[in-house]
Amino acid sequence: MPNIREIRERIESIKQILKITNAMYLISSSKLKKARKALDDTTPYFDKLQETLSDILVHTPETRQRYFNKRAEIPEEKRKKGYIVITADKGLCGSYNHNVLKQTEVELKKAFDNNCYMYILGQVGRLYFQHRNNDIDHSSIDSEFLYTTQNPTLFRARDIAELILDKFVKKELDEVYLIYTAMDSKGEFEPKTVQILPFKRIHFGLDKDGKMKKLPKAEFVPSSKEVMDYLIPNYVKGLIYGAMVEAFCCEQQARMTAMDAATSSARDMIKDLSLVYNRARQAAITQEITEVVSGAEGVSGG
Amino acid sequence: MAKTFHLDIIASDRVFYQGECEHLVVTAIDGQLGILPGHEALVTSLPTGELKYCVNGKWHNAAISEGFMEVMPEFAVILADHCELPEEIDIKRAEAARQRAEELLRGKQSIMEYYHTQAALNRAINRLKLSQKKFK
Repeated sequence: MPNIREIRERIESIKQILKITNAMYLISSSKLKKARKALDDTTPYFDKLQETLSDILVHTPETRQRYFNKRAEIPEEKRKKGYIVITADKGLCGSYNHNVLKQTEVELKKAFDNNCYMYILGQVGRLYFQHRNNDIDHSSIDSEFLYTTQNPTLFRARDIAELILDKFVKKELDEVYLIYTAMDSKGEFEPKTVQILPFKRIHFGLDKDGKMKKLPKAEFVPSSKEVMDYLIPNYVKGLIYGAMVEAFCCEQQARMTAMDAATSSARDMIKDLSLVYNRARQAAITQEITEVVSGAEGVSGG
Repeated sequence: MAKTFHLDIIASDRVFYQGECEHLVVTAIDGQLGILPGHEALVTSLPTGELKYCVNGKWHNAAISEGFMEVMPEFAVILADHCELPEEIDIKRAEAARQRAEELLRGKQSIMEYYHTQAALNRAINRLKLSQKKFK
């Protein structure tokens, strides 16, 4: 028979946790509202940015530009690849972090691991890769790359973009990828990998109907070099900012769902345990009555 | 009704303007640039500066910080970090930002920090300049 006191203590502790998860649910739902608004405000910019840049690139003559340099002369196993990974600062958000990290592992497996450089946003990812890299000599992480993922700002995105472009120009990196969680139209999220550098013309796909082709070739004012030097960092910054906003929104959404699930399963557990508790209590009372009755019978019989 | 072209001004935190426009004046990296309908295709980048566009014969001013512009004969797209109308500018905040930047510039900084503060200072001055315009 289960111990009554044990059950009662268990119920109490579940109630405590329920309070915590419920509070976290409320917090993340209010944060989500803010994050969702930021995402809605940024989405037009993010989409238009990619659209316009692909437009510009399609309609401009081939530019000999440092950010387009594929450095094809470097063999695959010697290419230094940088990964910007956006994770959360905290756990307790379901499979959000796990999915991003798994995607990163997949990407790393494709590349030659010891030539990879990790730039990780968010504590969870950083800790994960620090542990992982302690094991075997794997990709190195930039320990000075300390950015939070909370409330993304354009300023932070600019910092990151500058750092990455600087490393690329100095040939400390040959390829740069961005791994973050994207939200699809159904509101579900999945990790996504985007190549940032070097710029590839292919990933700026044409429209389905290819209508942009009719437009005339655009001229750069004052010169293509000057404009590109200005435009590319701006684009990279916009891309990173958009990804940060989207990932943050996904994080809040994931945390809200996870905490909601935790709260409701805590409620279920309490319900089940109360049933067991009541049964045990009833059994104890019945037993006591039986004992008293049989005791009384024994006394009166004797 | 004058001839118009479609203008999109999109800031990173909102859609600033979307609609028809008769005349657009922007500050590009090498000076001011006027865009009328049917302008030749062009791409340029915009530093922190000022922007003017004319809708139905009425001119609107805006403060813009870092972005770029694509112009095609029928439309123009401006993508910028921030874009604000003069009446939306928080003068106190801009003033505080200017003072902060000026103070930082007096101290010792790395080259990168120097550029950052200078950019911040430019943004603040631009905002202040534009916010003063609305009173004239």
